[in-house]
Amino acid sequence: MGYIVPIGPYHPSLEEPIHARLYTEGELIKDAEIFIGYNHRGIEKLAMQKNIIQTLVLVERVCGICSHSHAMTFAMAVENAGGIKPTKKGEYMRVITAELERLHSHYLWLGIALHIIGHDSLFMHSWDDREAIMDILEDLTGNRVNYGMVTIGGARRDISAEQAHRTLEMLDKIEESNKVLCDFLLNDKTVALRTQGVGVLTTEEAIELGAIGPHARASNVPIDVRIDAPYSSYDDFDFKKCVWPSGDVFARVVVRVLENFESIKIIRQALDSMPSGPINKGNSIPVVKPGEYMNMHEAPRGQLSYKVVTNGTDKVQRVSIHVPTFKNAPTIPTMLRGNSVADAGLIIASIDPCFSCMDR
Amino acid sequence: MQYYKKIPITKDQIVPTAERMRKDGVILAMIHGYLTEDGKPNISYEYQLGETIESYTIEGENELPSIAYIYSKAAEWPEREINELIGVTFTGLDVSKRLFLPESMLSGQGQIFVTPMEELIKNTQKH
Repeated sequence: MGYIVPIGPYHPSLEEPIHARLYTEGELIKDAEIFIGYNHRGIEKLAMQKNIIQTLVLVERVCGICSHSHAMTFAMAVENAGGIKPTKKGEYMRVITAELERLHSHYLWLGIALHIIGHDSLFMHSWDDREAIMDILEDLTGNRVNYGMVTIGGARRDISAEQAHRTLEMLDKIEESNKVLCDFLLNDKTVALRTQGVGVLTTEEAIELGAIGPHARASNVPIDVRIDAPYSSYDDFDFKKCVWPSGDVFARVVVRVLENFESIKIIRQALDSMPSGPINKGNSIPVVKPGEYMNMHEAPRGQLSYKVVTNGTDKVQRVSIHVPTFKNAPTIPTMLRGNSVADAGLIIASIDPCFSCMDR
Repeated sequence: MQYYKKIPITKDQIVPTAERMRKDGVILAMIHGYLTEDGKPNISYEYQLGETIESYTIEGENELPSIAYIYSKAAEWPEREINELIGVTFTGLDVSKRLFLPESMLSGQGQIFVTPMEELIKNTQKH
């Protein structure tokens, strides 16, 4: 006999507010539907009333985890629409912050996934490492979230030699720790039993449904905006795309752990070759000539896109924000089918969702 | 470097363009919509071809064909969102339920982008 099992929008094993309806036969999920929209804040509508600098501050509040990604992508779209070229040093600071953000986001997700799996010692291990990254973000920007690092034309804060030294020290520690984490995750029986073959999204399904970011790369789809369509100063750094073929929850874990090594590599290169010159072009409210532009950024969860329409005033006529979860969430029902109800929370969390981001 | 190329198209070219892109394995990065200053809907289909975003844009049309059957969910959700925000309808798209705005908001009918801010604030206070 079949039952409909509702999960969420508020549930202990869910990372974020989403309502999932599971159509089950016994423990088996035969089909599923998802419902979103529990955290719509009208940010795009509100942005139409604000000037560009106020909007920059506003969009940084779309998300508490990838806040810098939002500010950076909005700034790039405004700069491209208005023909403004940011300073080279400012671009390097943006990339350093973006990669530190990716690191702390991946560690955050790994911790949550491991907690759902029931491996709480490893959850604490990864969140301990995350704290070291958060400390450096606070050191560089003054904040643990909503860093306020970006301004139109560059970055707001420079980095001192001491701060660069502390950052490199932290990276050394994290790299060693990530090697241990990586080795453990690849070889641990508990992790394997709970993740291998669970919530599979095949390469064909990922392409068909339009999955992006680490979620797609874990299904062997080699897409990464930083390499496919480089922006800011990503062209200057040597790093690679991390893909894994199995398409299950295990692959999503592995891809993120491997990406941590690449982020560390990028930050080291940026600190070693930091350009001289000004960090930004001043802090006045810019008046941007009429135009429109769409920019993409590889945020921690995948491709983030901002479309901006400017009208020659100090405001933007339209800011259209689309976050990775908007592309990845529709893959959830496909991943749930054929799995057990007990794994539903883990499978939903495995896309590293940010439904609050998506609802805006 | 990321490039952005705007290409104006007509309503009849939407489906053939989507079919050609899908056949060539091109990613539909997003469908965006906004109202121009004189109130006309501007809808753009953003395809990601290497370093360039090709933005196929159509202006002043309130009814467009859906490409959800070509690009699956990558097109369905953006189309539903545009329908909720600015009221453009997509032929063949199921909009019997709202995607992310509450069903109770503006009686489930109004679009947030065409509703004045004052009315939205009044509506919020009611709930």
